[in-house]
Amino acid sequence: MSLSRSPSPPPGRGWSSPGLTPGSGSSTPRGYSPSGASLAPSGISWAAAKAKSDEVRGYPSFSTRNSGFFSRQKHRISARLPSFRGETHSYVDKHQYGRAHHRHGGGHGPFGVLLWRGRSRLVLGLFLLWIGYLCFWSTIVQLYRRSALGGGRKFVIILGSNVEGGVMEWKGAREWAIERNSIWNKQQYAKQWGYELEVANMLAKKRYSHEWRESWEKGDVIREAMRKYPQAEWFWWLDLNTWIMESDTSLQSHVFDHLDDRVYRDINEYNPMNITHPLPEFYLDDLGRALESDGDPDSLNMLLSQDCTGFNLGSFFLRRSLWTDRLLDSWWDPVMYEQMHMNWEHKEQDAFEYVYQSQPWIRSSVGFLPQRTINSFPLGACGDENNLQVHYQENDRDMVVNMAGCMFGRDCWSEIHDFRELSNKLNRGIWRQLMDSWRGTYDEADSTDDDDGQ
Amino acid sequence: MQFALPPRKSVPGARSSRLPHYRRKQLKTIAIFAFAVIFILYLLSHFSSSSSTSTSTSVAPAATAGVVIVTLLDYEQFSESYISKIVANREDYAKRHGYTNFFASVSDYNEAFGDSPRSWAMVPAVRHAMARNPTSKYFFHLNAHALIMNPAQSLKSHLLERSKLESVMLKDMPVVPPDSIIRTYSHLKEKDVDLIVTQDSEDLNPGSFILKNGDFARYFLDLWFDPLFRSYNFAKAETHGLDHIMQWHPTVLSRTAVVPQRYMNAFSDSTGASADGAYKDGDLIIRFPACGQSTTRDCPELEAYYKIWQKKYKSERDS
Repeated sequence: MSLSRSPSPPPGRGWSSPGLTPGSGSSTPRGYSPSGASLAPSGISWAAAKAKSDEVRGYPSFSTRNSGFFSRQKHRISARLPSFRGETHSYVDKHQYGRAHHRHGGGHGPFGVLLWRGRSRLVLGLFLLWIGYLCFWSTIVQLYRRSALGGGRKFVIILGSNVEGGVMEWKGAREWAIERNSIWNKQQYAKQWGYELEVANMLAKKRYSHEWRESWEKGDVIREAMRKYPQAEWFWWLDLNTWIMESDTSLQSHVFDHLDDRVYRDINEYNPMNITHPLPEFYLDDLGRALESDGDPDSLNMLLSQDCTGFNLGSFFLRRSLWTDRLLDSWWDPVMYEQMHMNWEHKEQDAFEYVYQSQPWIRSSVGFLPQRTINSFPLGACGDENNLQVHYQENDRDMVVNMAGCMFGRDCWSEIHDFRELSNKLNRGIWRQLMDSWRGTYDEADSTDDDDGQ
Repeated sequence: MQFALPPRKSVPGARSSRLPHYRRKQLKTIAIFAFAVIFILYLLSHFSSSSSTSTSTSVAPAATAGVVIVTLLDYEQFSESYISKIVANREDYAKRHGYTNFFASVSDYNEAFGDSPRSWAMVPAVRHAMARNPTSKYFFHLNAHALIMNPAQSLKSHLLERSKLESVMLKDMPVVPPDSIIRTYSHLKEKDVDLIVTQDSEDLNPGSFILKNGDFARYFLDLWFDPLFRSYNFAKAETHGLDHIMQWHPTVLSRTAVVPQRYMNAFSDSTGASADGAYKDGDLIIRFPACGQSTTRDCPELEAYYKIWQKKYKSERDS
């Protein structure tokens, strides 16, 4: 191995790499050959300066041979360089000497050497930085995004899992696979951007059963998450059967930094339910009858999308605010539920459609995102023909796919699986590919197991 | 504290300008990298932080001052002379304290409440008053079968002041008498109160309440007026609707102060009134609940009290 410690002087001016001359092994270049350091620019001899600096440092133990990992590594790394230096040394030395001479008008022979050493250090430093970048950069970035400065803590992803688990039907291999994969997907996304992930256990509970219903489960889960993450501002509800396709896109850059452009508040822009808007009632104030509320993005407290039949709450955002407290409180009401439970097939979604229409205060703070911003459907949901408003478009790299209604006659697992593979294919990055390759193969094997297990 | 390095002064010739060139270069490199890292972090923070941090929910200019008295008149049911008495009574009070009157006609809201009982009209009427007076702070709804008997008393000193309200509000009392398991909050502060209401012997009584302008008022009125509440056949229509909302929705209850009945809703006699809810001389308001239920056009009971008020009003005006 070339890293052997036996001294073998390279051609040219002899051994000049640090590390093997007496007193070397430290990270400072104190062990250079005396010929290369006879005079410092100021005229003080190198030896004298070195002695002084030793005095100042007062760390005799620091120069102990091979005392630390870094010094050993540095020697190893630098040991690869001498031939390069040896080959070009004399020429460049002259060149540098000339320049130094020209500039300073004095004989500074060793100056060029020092410069060269500085340059090799620069190369070395860059190399180390590059290694560090490869190994730690994503961690640093993630730590930063999680910190108070990064803004990641303002977002919480709430994933409804284990829907009616264990009571309505036993979960089979496919259900487990869906759950595991979907959670993993959101974990990766949350980790990358410093968001919080709350996996909500939607186990069938008595208080949410038809005869006992005390509230909507989604509302309770969101309220719970708001208590748990007091620093968070926005809460993103995601159904289990969703897949985040573009994990390199942050919520900030995708939606929240551009609330003005991305959100429409006038439902007439896309109005599959033909909701009357704005409200005509003469007794309402200007805000209640406004087409776009007050037009200020700060008053947006809920963002959702509409599919071909109306509101879709498979993927929506709620902001911590008094408005949201009131919505979560009044969303479910026993008197309303008693009258409407036969009509409200989709529970909270239908109830929300209802209150949006019947209570003007709700409209003032609700904004809509075009469906494909946060809630693209696969073919088969909302029709089999490719609809540019509704269906996932690979070319546009839609961010989230929601396999809405896949439990009714479609195959949830194969849809999720296909979109997962597509997402992996689309996002074959160079560096992340390297970092995640082991994990990717692991997952590959994992999913094969699931396929086999059916 | 122990310093690892002795002070620079004690080492002659060790000033920074004398540092070997490579060391300076090293420092320069480090400085450049440090700068680059800081710059990148700055860029990240600049681009990744969400645009707004405020969680403010106020979507309308905050109301500053002023009281609007909302009275709902049923021109189809009341006689003209009765209406003129009520109007005179309200206008006198408004003039004394610089309040604004908002008289609404039930028939204006026919379409709004549709098939539900006419008494529901008071909810859109208050909403209407708010739309017409967006800068007023308080909206005082007072039933048409009521008289203001102590017009010298301003609402502010009588009820709205912080010390006054906090001392008179009923804490930890059943929301709906006599024994609702939901009780009013015991730690409510004046600044959190958006609605002031009273109870009679059986219910929260919406015949007289004060509502503070703002997001809560919109929320409360819209929720109360929801078509599913109106169509539910509550025996006492909007009164039971209010009882229901108050007991099921803590976001409403937590902003509501219940005050003793005589502060703003004294009944003409003790029938149906809460304990100590019957009118006594000096009370601000007298209500005639029986008039609302009877089918007579006017309210004969009111006559006597109107005369008392008139006499007092006249003597005060003359003096």
